[in-house]
Amino acid sequence: MLRYPRWPIHAMLLAVSFLMLVPFYWVVKTSVTGENIFAYPPSVLPKSPHPFYYVDVWYYIPFARYFLNSVVVSALAVIANVVFNALAGYALTREFRAKRFVLLLFLSCMMVPFQATIIPAYLITGRLGLLDSYWGLALPQFSTIVCIFVFKASFDAVPRSLVDAARIDGLAEWRIVWKVMMPLAKGAIATNVILGFIWSWNNFLWPLIVTRSAEMQTLPLGLARFLSYQEDTTGALYAFCIMVLAPGILLFLLAQKEFIRGLASGATKG
Amino acid sequence: MADEIPAAARPPRFARKSTRQAVLIWCFLAPSLAIFLLYRLIPLVWNVVLSFSDWSPLKGMKWAGLDQYEDMIHDDVFWQALLNTLVFMASAPVAIVIALALALLVSADIRGRNVYRTIIFVSYPLMTVAVAIIWRWLFDERVGLINYVARSLHLVESPIPFLNSFFWALPSVIVANIWQMLGFYMIVLLTGLQAIPPNLYEAAAIDGANAWRRFKRITLPLLKPSLFLCIVIGMLNSFTSFDLVYVMTGGGPGRATELLVTYIYRLGFSQTRFDYAAAVTVVFFALLVSIAWMANRLSGGEAGAVERD
Repeated sequence: MLRYPRWPIHAMLLAVSFLMLVPFYWVVKTSVTGENIFAYPPSVLPKSPHPFYYVDVWYYIPFARYFLNSVVVSALAVIANVVFNALAGYALTREFRAKRFVLLLFLSCMMVPFQATIIPAYLITGRLGLLDSYWGLALPQFSTIVCIFVFKASFDAVPRSLVDAARIDGLAEWRIVWKVMMPLAKGAIATNVILGFIWSWNNFLWPLIVTRSAEMQTLPLGLARFLSYQEDTTGALYAFCIMVLAPGILLFLLAQKEFIRGLASGATKG
Repeated sequence: MADEIPAAARPPRFARKSTRQAVLIWCFLAPSLAIFLLYRLIPLVWNVVLSFSDWSPLKGMKWAGLDQYEDMIHDDVFWQALLNTLVFMASAPVAIVIALALALLVSADIRGRNVYRTIIFVSYPLMTVAVAIIWRWLFDERVGLINYVARSLHLVESPIPFLNSFFWALPSVIVANIWQMLGFYMIVLLTGLQAIPPNLYEAAAIDGANAWRRFKRITLPLLKPSLFLCIVIGMLNSFTSFDLVYVMTGGGPGRATELLVTYIYRLGFSQTRFDYAAAVTVVFFALLVSIAWMANRLSGGEAGAVERD
């Protein structure tokens, strides 16, 4: 190994970590502080901390409803993603006519960012009668090309002989996917669940476009709406912010390895 | 086994089976294809059609030729939004350089490096709307942490109204964006760094190459694919950015932070000018494709097409 002193590296990384964490601390501090949040100079430690702002959130806004909406939409998106992407990924491991065409189609669809489709996507969803509904919110996220290729790569790694053996045993094609392929593609499933969840949980632009009524709003919308109604006059905004972020951070810390691998492969697998 | 089947019976049987297989394969592909058709390809065509017509939800569609595009040339807001988007995009390389330094630091053989990695990465998967609210608060004119620190250190006389200033608003949003993206770039670069065989460094060290030369001659060339990947993702990501600006500044003050996507949203959904919004989208998409194509050419085709959304 090459020798070098360690302490400058620690010093620099500590400084960076400090900069990365300070924004979180400042918002947490604001959300529990007992003093007027506009007092100057602001105290560095929370003065007479209390949980009242968190209680306020429950009275000001239908937090439970927003949360439920987010959960339903994300669950729909994640389940559809895993099923549809696995099926499509499996189809792409097989030889069939027009396969090159389908691959080309997928790759070119990948070049179309969602932001470039918002106007017609809104009109299409309107024609389908799905505006302001769970299905309308989740439908565009039902399948993701990156994840199809993650599944394809995972299925390609399954030994050919195993599939042939299953076929000789008379397993139907969909049962091969379900019984043979899926158990061997746990990594791909985890990646897909994480990416599908993150994308749909954090999605803001699409819910902003399709929802009309307050009871269909998801968490990010609720947060933005709270900001525009109350401005930033109350610490409850920051309590709300923390309540929205906490589940995500907790989930991330629990499944850190899968998250990092999933998010990195979501961007690198072309 | 196969030999016992009469030759004449085989072709139809085989054909029947392969047709069934083909039908099955298409059934497997159908749901995904339907989604992409409905939410990618049809919208693309619809955008182009809309951009050449005069239409709003309550009146019929009329052919308008290039009228919308002509309007765009004379539309100052469009040019402002385009300029802002390009500035926003140009911040990606800055973030990547910082991330490269961080990746080198956390790849060092030190205790607790996984903790550092986690801390730097944790902001990436967070909800951008919440990130925007956090940074709004930090940039606050009266009691924001940034103004507080600057005033305490006597760097500024009076507080800077970051998000309400024509000069500071865009850089402020960019800082928030870099803060969120840093961890992602770092992880991609770290993966690239870990793929470089360590014996290369040892050999170079024995040959008397100093740290800077080792970095220049070994690390940088071998890291090229990861760097290009970061650049492509970073540029596409900032080109399509919406949430951060919408929540932090709403495009203001004036139009100082208007981006193409926020402008398209505003045109479509607050001014109901769907036809004009579609025309701006067509230009937006054309620019995006050419940027991706150029980046891909420059990288020698190593960085694939990438999406985040």
